[in-house]
Amino acid sequence: MTAMTAPLVDIADLVIEYDTGTRQVRAIDGAALQVFEDETLAIVGESGSGKTTLGMAAGRLLPPEARVLGGRIHVADVDVSDADDDALRRLRHDKLGFVFQNPTTALDPTMRIGRQVALAMGGRPAPEAIAELLSRAELNEPQRILRAFPHELSGGMAQRVVIAMAIARSPQLLIADEPTASLDASIREKVMATLGRLRAESGASLVILSHDLRMIARHADRVAVMYGGRIVELGAVGQVMQAPAHPYTRALLAAAAGNERPGERLRPIPGTPPILESRCEACAYAPRCAFRETRCETERPEPRAFAGREVVCHRAEAVIAADQSPRQEAR
Amino acid sequence: MEPPVIALEDVTVTYRSGFLGGTGFDALRGVSLSVGAGETVGLVGESGSGKTTLGRVCLGLLRPTTGSMHFAGQPFGNLRQRRGQLSVVLQHPEWALNPRLRCGRSVEEPLVLTGVSAAARRARVDEILEQVGLDPSFAARLPGQLSGGQRQRIAIARALVTHPRFIVFDEAVSALDVSVQAQVLNLIRDLQERHGFGALFISHDIAATRYVSHRIAVMLNGEIVEDGPAGRFYGAPEHPYSRALLAAV
Repeated sequence: MTAMTAPLVDIADLVIEYDTGTRQVRAIDGAALQVFEDETLAIVGESGSGKTTLGMAAGRLLPPEARVLGGRIHVADVDVSDADDDALRRLRHDKLGFVFQNPTTALDPTMRIGRQVALAMGGRPAPEAIAELLSRAELNEPQRILRAFPHELSGGMAQRVVIAMAIARSPQLLIADEPTASLDASIREKVMATLGRLRAESGASLVILSHDLRMIARHADRVAVMYGGRIVELGAVGQVMQAPAHPYTRALLAAAAGNERPGERLRPIPGTPPILESRCEACAYAPRCAFRETRCETERPEPRAFAGREVVCHRAEAVIAADQSPRQEAR
Repeated sequence: MEPPVIALEDVTVTYRSGFLGGTGFDALRGVSLSVGAGETVGLVGESGSGKTTLGRVCLGLLRPTTGSMHFAGQPFGNLRQRRGQLSVVLQHPEWALNPRLRCGRSVEEPLVLTGVSAAARRARVDEILEQVGLDPSFAARLPGQLSGGQRQRIAIARALVTHPRFIVFDEAVSALDVSVQAQVLNLIRDLQERHGFGALFISHDIAATRYVSHRIAVMLNGEIVEDGPAGRFYGAPEHPYSRALLAAV
């Protein structure tokens, strides 16, 4: 990690609300995040936690009903919330690459793959150059795929085309929103490996938005756990997954199938995620938290450094201490 | 001993079409599988391996080209005879529920078809909603007013309302968030203990499957390559393909 140089992405005190017509819903409630060069950062959280809003805000790709109420977003030295159209277009075209959840909706169904990829590359690339790009994304028979329409490709192939388009201009930052959620389990791992290899080759940074903890544990360097529009825990993947310091991270790990022993019961998180309408003046997780005390319901926790990571919790000491034997307790 | 709810013996399904030069394509090849009462059999494999085809055969929606199928020890017969005895829960509850029907009405519908009186239906709907962990007031809501996990509970309530003997869960938890997934998996286990239905749990997620299943069958290219107790999938399964699936957990 290159902590000395300026971060590639610098988000501070970000507040974003959606205007639903009848009321304001606060999706991002004071989030702060830095992404450094040449790293893979994963943002995890349940639906509604704000991870997609945060990811899309980096390219100002939010729907019109979203409003940025405060904070700043700098991406590659461009102030995204303040940039004019020209600067924004240059940023999106040259420095950002997006991989969306569903490749079949990301591709234009009326256009052959070759032409779409050429558009993403810019200029008038030779067919060989397009084929070469497709084979970098590990697509066999690029010549055949060039002439194909999106509906003629399988989901995994289509996602590889989207990845090829995302890396076409050698971006500095790749943002992948649930890149494998719509794919088959058996090819997810391969597609993630391709994405990771391309990232490593180009030295770009990759931000993965996902709720798949197991996938993240294998592919990310750092992980940011989101809840209620804030980043509640941020640190190296190994550290956070081995010994979570935030009760939400801990509960997510206990709820995921795959870590349990035979006969053991999964423990879902009680309650439902909050829908905020304004700044949360308490801990947003307090109503569902097993570690809460009175202070959690009256005092908004602020980010603090703890045990080698950043955590937004009054009770982090108790959480990490309790975590020495999470499995015994599960019985 | 009670005969298994579903017993398939040497079932082959051939799709006839022009896309392979007019020849047939075997979606299932010599598959034998049985599901007992109160037992969940997990079915894992990649797409195109024949999982969904097998599910359709078990539901009687597809006739095997060769081989035999028995339901509770008897020949399957026609679907009308099996009304209320078979059920399915799909991946996307929003596709399974009519968006313009109140949830109570959706849950009640299978009872209308089996000719249950209106008063009995209402009592039964309230009871089943409570069993899937929803307040009876949900009966008056539209599917669009529910979260994904709540909608899947409604879909499960609808599948269970006739007390079926056999349920197919086709990727039933794949679209849900981690913690909601855990809730629904626990719900399936609890309901099975209470109702004793046999179940086929189709999924590409081996971690969720082994959690909810008693036995797991692994499919590859239309054949079952391994069929063993779920406990084996926490350690070292025999077939190399099963091991490859497990490596991704």
